[in-house]
Amino acid sequence: MVKRGPSGWLAWIVQRASALYMLAFLVAGLLWFLVDPPGSHPAWRARMAGAGTGIATAAFFAALLAHAWVGLRDVVLDYVRPRSLCGPVLAGLGLGLVAVAAWVLRILVTVRT
Amino acid sequence: MRLSIFRFDPDRDERPYMQDFEIELAPTDRMLLDVILRIRTLDDSLAVRKSCREGVCGSDAMNINGRNGLACVTPVAGLAEPVVLRPLPGFPVIRDLVVDMTRFFAQYDSIKPYLQNDEPPTGKERLQSPRDRARLDGLYECILCACCTSQCPSYWWNPEKFVGPAGLLQACRFIVDSRDRATAQRLDDLDDAYRLFRCRTIMNCTEVCPKGLAPSRAIEAIRSAMTRRPR
Ligand code: SF4
Ligand code: SF4
Ligand code: FES
Repeated sequence: MVKRGPSGWLAWIVQRASALYMLAFLVAGLLWFLVDPPGSHPAWRARMAGAGTGIATAAFFAALLAHAWVGLRDVVLDYVRPRSLCGPVLAGLGLGLVAVAAWVLRILVTVRT
Repeated sequence: MRLSIFRFDPDRDERPYMQDFEIELAPTDRMLLDVILRIRTLDDSLAVRKSCREGVCGSDAMNINGRNGLACVTPVAGLAEPVVLRPLPGFPVIRDLVVDMTRFFAQYDSIKPYLQNDEPPTGKERLQSPRDRARLDGLYECILCACCTSQCPSYWWNPEKFVGPAGLLQACRFIVDSRDRATAQRLDDLDDAYRLFRCRTIMNCTEVCPKGLAPSRAIEAIRSAMTRRPR
């Protein structure tokens, strides 16, 4: 059975999985920073330009945005009344998050060039 | 004992008000309901629901000093005075402490609270192993008093879309029943943004259940059944 409307379980699992990934990313990043501090700005840039770091960082921001989307969506579904306003408000928030995603992507790409 | 009781008669009152009562406790006044029923002999316009007087029927759920409970199993000793009695929060008031449960039971009805199994029974009845039967413990005891649902903030915001803890506990009771064959449909039915997933794990429900049940754990069990279901 295919249901229409905002998802339930999918959104819930995305929220959990993204939280776990962000936690792992932050802990690993901090440890790396502590164990092997990049001494200078060029060294920091070089580290961030590595393919592995780039992918992990992009995934971090993807997780962050997905997590933010589910959270914002919950706030809107709970509190925005009349309900007919939920759709437009969600569309606006979604566009905002897509803009942030594009901005993050631009930064990540420029770091690598 | 001093009490402050919510009063509202839509035929007479423009708005609700709190009425103070003072009553000498009799030796027979063990539970709050005993006191309320004696107050009713002084003022028979006070509307309350009750039936079994022993925590079985679920009729006399109300908000007692800010916390939902059954008046008939709430000991008088230890209640802070004045005892403030209000109707169940989040439910439309019919009169005084009596609320309209229509929406609550509509949500209960929506989870199809009955065994679904079209297979012909093999013997006289559908048997369960003791282990399968044990999975219903903590679920079948619910008396549908609505203490939990009425104390759930998520239900206050979305009473017509969120099933609420009582209904979800009942849904879980049929989802885990080894004799039921509609598990997949039951899980599908709850899988949208509202019916189950408005629950924010605030756990007020488990905190107030007068039967000591844990609707939040039942909700958790449904979520994990969804996660484990074949896709
Ligand atoms: S779970 Fe507890 S509080 Fe909720 S309706 Fe059932 S008995 Fe009442
Ligand atoms: S755990 Fe869920 S159902 Fe229970 S009170 Fe909290 S939000 Fe409501
Ligand atoms: S009167 Fe039946 S539960 Fe209290």
